[in-house]
Amino acid sequence: MGSISLAFAYLAAGLGAGLSVIGAALGIGKLAATALEATGRQPEASGNIRTTMIIAAALIEGVALFAVVVCLLVLLNAK
Amino acid sequence: MKNDFESQNMITITNDTKTSSQTGGGDTLHKEVKAEGSVFETILNENMGNHPQFGWFDTFKVDLPKIIIDKGIHIYKDTEALEKGGEFTYFHHKLVRKEDHTPPALDLSVTSLVVYEWLALLLLGLAFWKAGKHYKKNPLRAPKGFTAMIEMVIGFVKNDIVKPNIGEKLTNKLLPYFLGIFFFIITMNLLGLLPGGHAPTGNLSVTAALAITAFCMIQGVSIWQIGFKNWLKHLTGGAPIYLAPIMIPIELIGLFTKPFALTIRLFANMTAGHIIILCLLGLILYFKNIFIAPAAVGFSMFIYALELLVALLQAYIFTILTAVFVGLALGDHAEEHSTEH
Repeated sequence: MGSISLAFAYLAAGLGAGLSVIGAALGIGKLAATALEATGRQPEASGNIRTTMIIAAALIEGVALFAVVVCLLVLLNAK
Repeated sequence: MKNDFESQNMITITNDTKTSSQTGGGDTLHKEVKAEGSVFETILNENMGNHPQFGWFDTFKVDLPKIIIDKGIHIYKDTEALEKGGEFTYFHHKLVRKEDHTPPALDLSVTSLVVYEWLALLLLGLAFWKAGKHYKKNPLRAPKGFTAMIEMVIGFVKNDIVKPNIGEKLTNKLLPYFLGIFFFIITMNLLGLLPGGHAPTGNLSVTAALAITAFCMIQGVSIWQIGFKNWLKHLTGGAPIYLAPIMIPIELIGLFTKPFALTIRLFANMTAGHIIILCLLGLILYFKNIFIAPAAVGFSMFIYALELLVALLQAYIFTILTAVFVGLALGDHAEEHSTEH
């Protein structure tokens, strides 16, 4: 393949990583905001809320990482 | 690590000396490596790959035994014996058959990451032997120092991870697995943060193996506790029977996505930090300018601190997600039993 397709592959990998990070950042930001709100309303449940928040954050992060791994594969297999 | 970063040329040179020492004839390989290897890929291979030798910087290098299954089992003491054996050889850091340069059927060689796993097991063994000795000698006195820390972490895993998710009844039976996986992952992650060390969890095969144990745990405990019939019933997701053709494939896929997500999450988290540090330090080489160095080193120090947090957090997340999945696979049955008590 020529250098143009290589350039497009790099562009796709970079764009894909950036876009997936936007989604993950929105998700985790919203999650943290609501968790803080919930802790503010009910401080005695903060331990429970924190655990649930970390699990949910890990799940969101996992989806974003799938996307990043796909981008990395694109990057490394571009020829 | 210093050696790899000196310059792009340096990387290809060190790379080349290694390949030529492995194969003997260096000239043709030299050109191929130089033409093929991008800096990024070379750094990745150098720093996170599975090496056939175990070493620490340039101080020492131990050649590890090779075990290859390819029409029978071939076992070689080291690379030299492998080359002398005449059936396999190294080509571009990859173990291949000598005649047609295709990879063998199954390569079970001991690699540097395996040695790091053994190191983690050894450290854990020593730590728990030391902690256990205290309890054997004087079981009624409160522990101090290192033993107290171990006790605290075990208490954390038991009370905050396993008990809320799995229920009181099974906690003590399943605790060894969760403790084992928690401490093993934490030790492997932290080994990667030592200067010159590699994190075995930064390799997809290692995390996949860990996730396979988690998968066996989730399904095994589920079948053991609720019975095979109820386990099959769970596959319909509690929907009416005429929805089974749709529900069963979805639930079957759901069984495998959980450990798959565990695999990718741990691998990507451990790899991402290393890649960011490599990229930041790579900026120095890219601009060939000394004034970029303070910023790059400062940022990479910050990422390093973040990696320390991530190393602890990912062990916690792997363990708690496994516990949550076990709890989910038990379904309402775990709750029933705990309310009966």
